[in-house]
Amino acid sequence: MNKKVTTSKRKQAPAKGKGLAIAMLAKWRFHFTVAVIALLLLALMWHLAFLQVVPGNERGYEFLQGQGNARTIRHETINAYRGLITDRNGEPLAVSSPVTSVWANPKLFKNDDGQLRAVAKALGLKQSELAAKFDRFANKEFMYLKRHLPPHKAEAVMALGVDGVYATTEYQRFYPAAEVASHLVGFVDVEGKGQEGLELAYDHWLKGEAGAKRVIKDLKGRVIKDAGLIRAALSGKDVRLSIDLRLQYMAHRELKTALKAYKAKSGSVVILDVASSEVLAMVNQPSYNPNNRSKIKAKQLRNRALTDQYEPGSTMKPLTILAALETGKFSKDTVVDTNPGYVRVPGKTFVDPVNYGEINLERILTKSSQVGIVKLALQMEPETIRDIYQRFGLGAVTGTGFPGERTGTLPNRPKWHVTEHANFSFGYGMSLTAAQLAQAYNVIANDGTFRPVSILHHQEGVESHQVADPALVKQVRKMLSTVPEKEGTGKLAQITDYPVAGKTGTVHKLGSKGYAENRYMSLFAGMAPADAPEIVAVVMINEPGTQAYSGGKVAAPVFSRVAESALRLLRVPPRVSDSSQVAMVGGMQ
Amino acid sequence: MTELAAVKLPAKRKPKVSKQAASAYASPAMASVDWPLLTLLWAIVSCGIILVASSSVSIADSLFGDSLHFAKRHTVYIVLGMIGACFIAALPSQLWRRYGPLFLLLALILLTLVLVPGLGKRVNGSQRWFNLGFITVQASEVVKFCVIVFFASYLSRRQEDLLYGWKGFGISIASVVLIAALLILEPDFGSTVVITVTAMSMLFLAGVRLHQFLLLVLLGAGGLAVLATATPYRLQRLVSYLDPWADQYGGGYQLTQSLIAFGRGEWFGSGLGNSIQKLFYLPEAHTDFIFAILAEEFGLLGVLLMLGLFVAFIARILGISRRAMAADDKFAALACFGVAAMFSTQVLINVGVASGFLPTKGLTLPFVSWGGSSLIANFALIGFILRLDWELRRNALLKPKVKRMPRKKTKAVEELAA
Repeated sequence: MNKKVTTSKRKQAPAKGKGLAIAMLAKWRFHFTVAVIALLLLALMWHLAFLQVVPGNERGYEFLQGQGNARTIRHETINAYRGLITDRNGEPLAVSSPVTSVWANPKLFKNDDGQLRAVAKALGLKQSELAAKFDRFANKEFMYLKRHLPPHKAEAVMALGVDGVYATTEYQRFYPAAEVASHLVGFVDVEGKGQEGLELAYDHWLKGEAGAKRVIKDLKGRVIKDAGLIRAALSGKDVRLSIDLRLQYMAHRELKTALKAYKAKSGSVVILDVASSEVLAMVNQPSYNPNNRSKIKAKQLRNRALTDQYEPGSTMKPLTILAALETGKFSKDTVVDTNPGYVRVPGKTFVDPVNYGEINLERILTKSSQVGIVKLALQMEPETIRDIYQRFGLGAVTGTGFPGERTGTLPNRPKWHVTEHANFSFGYGMSLTAAQLAQAYNVIANDGTFRPVSILHHQEGVESHQVADPALVKQVRKMLSTVPEKEGTGKLAQITDYPVAGKTGTVHKLGSKGYAENRYMSLFAGMAPADAPEIVAVVMINEPGTQAYSGGKVAAPVFSRVAESALRLLRVPPRVSDSSQVAMVGGMQ
Repeated sequence: MTELAAVKLPAKRKPKVSKQAASAYASPAMASVDWPLLTLLWAIVSCGIILVASSSVSIADSLFGDSLHFAKRHTVYIVLGMIGACFIAALPSQLWRRYGPLFLLLALILLTLVLVPGLGKRVNGSQRWFNLGFITVQASEVVKFCVIVFFASYLSRRQEDLLYGWKGFGISIASVVLIAALLILEPDFGSTVVITVTAMSMLFLAGVRLHQFLLLVLLGAGGLAVLATATPYRLQRLVSYLDPWADQYGGGYQLTQSLIAFGRGEWFGSGLGNSIQKLFYLPEAHTDFIFAILAEEFGLLGVLLMLGLFVAFIARILGISRRAMAADDKFAALACFGVAAMFSTQVLINVGVASGFLPTKGLTLPFVSWGGSSLIANFALIGFILRLDWELRRNALLKPKVKRMPRKKTKAVEELAA
């Protein structure tokens, strides 16, 4: 049994030969083997302890956990909620709602028939299209399967439990007012970035700040658990526009109707609140539906009231008259001799439709006399006229911050040709936007106080300043109130229950070879009620295709309807007039 | 048994127990089985079920849509293994003692057949399996059993060949080399190492002369070195184990992922089911690398407990070997020693590989890793040593009574001697 016995037996063995029990198994060999195994086990345990719990080891648990985290912990973006865009009363114009985008990692997606069919069916896609897409993205690790799904549909896809398919929460933008406010509001792209309009201009304000969180993912990219928030998403801030959605709707409808009626190419309407110079409505045609931009054309996109500049024509005459009054050389009773109905200047003859004879300043405006305004203007320096234009905000940015807004042109010439001088007095040889025109007329409505036009409600830091003598401005405004009267060029601008002041404009459009004979811009700029204006409105109809094309015939009636509806919507009390029973009833209410 | 034993044993122990006297103490047929061993095995197997279920949850769900796919099959294999163990335990050890050489033949035939294209099934570049339709059988697992039976039988019968001259040594080495060569052709490097180490430890215990053994060790080590360096992928594997981080997305990928699992575990682990590495990061998480998941979920504490279970379990088997040595039952002593050496080697290599302590790969953790052949073969070994243990106890029950009881031949002893 013991070693001694074994040894002694072994020595005897050869003598005994085969067939004898020669040896018992050696204990020391047994224990030696066990000891070797035990030593190896101890060494292994020592090694394991170094791996798992001994700190400060180069390849110890700190290092291993770091390596593990580097492979499993990922940062995920938490998309921020984009701020609302509302009208002045809080009506939503652009809202974000949570949607789910389903994406895939083509390298982890098992591209077999069954999986493809199931996924395609759940997403409402064609299997062949999906297969082609997977082929196209075969070497990529990310591709969208479908974006912006309603959450319940995305859940149906995720419920399939297919490897390599994931869902992300995003926000989709909806525009409840659709094409009515689309030019102002603009839109965002599929990533939620502002692309047009105020969505673009105030993107930094609206977009908020995306948050981030740590997540632990398995090798197939599925999130196993949240490992902590890094920073919460900051929701974007709201933007409140100055527009009144009711007025916006109304103006949109009227403009659209008018464009159809006059077969015009395009048009804009701008309505300002006189006291604040805030835009109550700003509409253009053609427009588009921002919720469905699949067949959109570039011409539909422009917010023409801010981005298109054109010659204002006769709508500038009241400013020239005001400049004349300011010189002190003329008064409202100054009489200008327009005989014989035309005036010749070197290079050009200006003609009135009929010979108005001797007329005062008011009559020049009422009849929009070219001869009268030219004769008056030629008695002033051109700089005097240019100065008043400038004071009224022409040729300068309005400060709306609207993307692509134009400033217009107000040329300053070292030497004015007499034709240029004359043209300048009735709004040729310069350009402006509809918004600038409304802003300038707002100075007349506001008794000479200039306040920059604003598309935001209660915009801070806006300074108003007096740019003209209130008494003289009031005189001009009174003159303008004759335009919509019976003898005036803009009698179609009249409103039953409110006195109107305004001015027509019919502008030859510039063609490739100078002014085109048969293409016009039809304008009306005015305010109501004339005695104490609440609103200023500018109507611009581009290239009417009908026989009637003048501002008085095309733009004035649109102004009439728009202004009347606006005043009613704003609950401005109708003026009591002897001639109107309706007005009396309205006034007594 | 050999003639020698058959002749000598009855002569040596002449237990003559009267029927009455035997029943007064215990019936030899009622000798107890080794309950502590079975309890330890039950504990290890239970841990195995839990670990397989936990570590295979994701891969099972992803491959089969049933997160318990592997756990269910694992349990079925355990039941099959237990049935097999009962069957083997029911066979008298005479069978193994007498027909030892046949098992060498069986091992060689199996290892040859598995290399025949069409018969053997090729997985991941290794031709190791027979596909029997309902189950795939890994040839090397059967061979492990055969090797232990053969060497126990051969060395116990021909010990003098080993002790004197070169014959016994030569035959033993030839057998090992032949089997190892066939295994390497599959290739199955892990099983080669386990089987070689098992055979060598049995040789050592059987009393191989030290200068021969040293020669063998040197030859073996040289052979392994040549094998490891001859084929570039093995060399790469060796390099990868020394510094897996140098090639962490290539050859070192699996090891780095395994090491990360160990590092995450710390003292107490992340808790059952909370392993991250099993979520597809660590390949073979439920088979060869199951220990890494244990380390991640139960920490160093769980690792030590599991190793402790194995130590106790193997110690118990060694205990049987010691008792067999005391009773001078060389076959039982060598067989149990071989089984203990085999389990020890497998545990050490499996854990050592998963923790970057040792090179090579492709070994299961006995009774824990998923793998039908391995489970059933290991259970068969358990059935085998339980029978040996039971026979030892039975004999022991008879033997001490010899001293106290009047010498009288009984029918039972005559049967035993025959």
